[in-house]
Amino acid sequence: MANEEERQLLVVIFDVNPVWWGIKSLQGQAQITKCLDCLLVFVNSYLMLRHDNKLAIIASHSTKSVFLYPAQESNQSPDPSKASTSDQAGGDCRYEHFAKVDDSVTDKFKELMRDGCEKNDIRRDSLIAGSMAIALCYIHRMQIESHGNTKLNARILVIKAADDAASQYMSFMNVIFAAQKERVVVDACILGQDSGLLQQACDMTSGMYLKVPHQDAFLQYLLTAFLTEAELRKESLVLAQSSRPREVDYRAACFCHRSLVDIGFVCSVCLSIFCQFSPICSTCETAFKPPVQASKSRKKRRALPANGT
Amino acid sequence: MEEQGEDKAYRWEGDYEKTWEALKEDETGSLQASIEAEINKAKKRRLQQRQRNVRLGMMRHLYVVVDLSQAMCDQDLKPNRAVAVLKALEIFSEKFFDQNPISQLGFVSTCAKRAEVLSDMSGSLQKHIKVLQDLGQKIIKTNAKHCTGEPSLQNSLELCAKSLKHMPSHTSKEILVVMGSLTTCDPGSIHDTITQIAKQSIRCSVIGLSAEVHICKYLAKSTKGTFGIILDESHFADLLTDHVPPPAEISPESSLIKMGFPHHVSPHESGKISLCMSRNTFTVGGYFCPQCQAKYSELPVQCVICALTLVSAPHLARSYHHFFPLPMFKEQEVPVGSLTCYSCCKPITTATYVCEQCAISFCMDCNAFIHETLHSCPGCIISTNHVHTTTNGVV
Repeated sequence: MANEEERQLLVVIFDVNPVWWGIKSLQGQAQITKCLDCLLVFVNSYLMLRHDNKLAIIASHSTKSVFLYPAQESNQSPDPSKASTSDQAGGDCRYEHFAKVDDSVTDKFKELMRDGCEKNDIRRDSLIAGSMAIALCYIHRMQIESHGNTKLNARILVIKAADDAASQYMSFMNVIFAAQKERVVVDACILGQDSGLLQQACDMTSGMYLKVPHQDAFLQYLLTAFLTEAELRKESLVLAQSSRPREVDYRAACFCHRSLVDIGFVCSVCLSIFCQFSPICSTCETAFKPPVQASKSRKKRRALPANGT
Repeated sequence: MEEQGEDKAYRWEGDYEKTWEALKEDETGSLQASIEAEINKAKKRRLQQRQRNVRLGMMRHLYVVVDLSQAMCDQDLKPNRAVAVLKALEIFSEKFFDQNPISQLGFVSTCAKRAEVLSDMSGSLQKHIKVLQDLGQKIIKTNAKHCTGEPSLQNSLELCAKSLKHMPSHTSKEILVVMGSLTTCDPGSIHDTITQIAKQSIRCSVIGLSAEVHICKYLAKSTKGTFGIILDESHFADLLTDHVPPPAEISPESSLIKMGFPHHVSPHESGKISLCMSRNTFTVGGYFCPQCQAKYSELPVQCVICALTLVSAPHLARSYHHFFPLPMFKEQEVPVGSLTCYSCCKPITTATYVCEQCAISFCMDCNAFIHETLHSCPGCIISTNHVHTTTNGVV
């Protein structure tokens, strides 16, 4: 499989937006606990592939991003031997690593749901950009810690449920560029509606974008599409074809009407995009010269005397 | 030597600097902590020099003049100066196009009293890297046989100025001269050339490899550029990196530039073959200019048929972080109980950095990563949703 000196790091970002999951469970279409179980089976399969595969799971709520695994021991001094014996105290025949992951995820998830959120914090969108930023910081830390010994292949799998938030565009683009620079592959598994931002992210980092048609087969989609690492996907006939999305819309939206433009006018000072010429830029309030035709004739007049002499 | 004003004394005129006292050993006799402290201090100093609320030249046309004369065969940079400079310029080109995706770069070389264009002004990184690599290989193979004669500063400046004259006025025109020789052989008066360049508001900067030459310093000062002499290879890389972020705008021209956002057709979708204007072959799939429907294989590019600049929205978005630079985090002592970093869950031991907007603490590595690569504070992104204030989250 992978080269002997390379290691894998998978960071899963699970969208736990309470509004979306609540609506879906009332409609009887999806249950967050079932999806969490599927996620745990997928994560266990990933850990079974190689003994040194590394993992992190982040839950993305509408007001906070929490690490479900590895569990943060903020108030106690880290003592790995004590923690593992208490986990094994149950005495069930589970593989110790799986037991640690499963218990940590379920405990932290219950804590997150129990904390709840206040009335003003209930939103329809989730903090995907924030969770991805935290994931990149974690990947950066892991890369520093394994530097010199082994090369770390990192990827982020985003399981998204809620819709996109337009207010996160700037931070999302910053995160995508940082992921591109760090050579981190971003994969997306969409449970709800199509997400333009994640389509761009997957295209720019050469990851896989998949919208799940049937939620009952969620685990099957996870195991088929997202278990293999990025470099090996081109060897598979099925995955190589579907890894690039059909048409990613990279057109820009004009700042005045928020409509997509094919040809736009860009302010040279602040790079804001407009669909038609306006004498003053609304963002940076720079005044502009009259449109192109006047300056073209000026250039022609200036060029002629030079040719004459 | 560092850049010095006219009134500051030269290094040998000042007092002794006891630089060995800056390094201190800790209990185990290791210098690691004080070395890290020095590196962090230098990083902080570099980041703080960025001015805020200054108009930046986002669309840049930069010519790099490389001296390939006899003095570049000197071996104080390994394997010789010419090859080391070309390698450093490859890394510089990558960083340049990463931070300035809609800008263009060109290379000019000067040797044997002449100047010639190595690589035309274009926005294609691959082309420039190929030219630089081929030239480097050629120099290594022939053992720098054709690096002869003396450079000509005036000829190279005039060549660049002639080409930059045709560029639109709203772009930022720059020349970066990498000079290894202490002499220059010019056909006319270089002061006339310098006045002409200053009048065209072209910013010239010089990086010297050997010693300070008065005419280079005068050139940099009259055109509001920077002048530096390298100490060693890493200092050379640092001086080059200083030219990567967009400089403060000196010319007041600004205009609305018409740009096209082409539609991408993937090869799997339509099997139709059409002529690709950037490669001059027939290919399937590509970007179609919205004005004249000419096809190109990569962006950003200037359409050769209708002269429309073609970019995609991420290219413009890549430059947005220059407008909202992330403020420096405040450094604080680690509190008595141990703290974990918010973003990487590592227990913090050395120093903690607190963002003033969202009051979240980060460790030293995350602080460097956030400021150099991410350009957004994770705490602010998360609390933006919470509090609805504009930080780095909302356009």
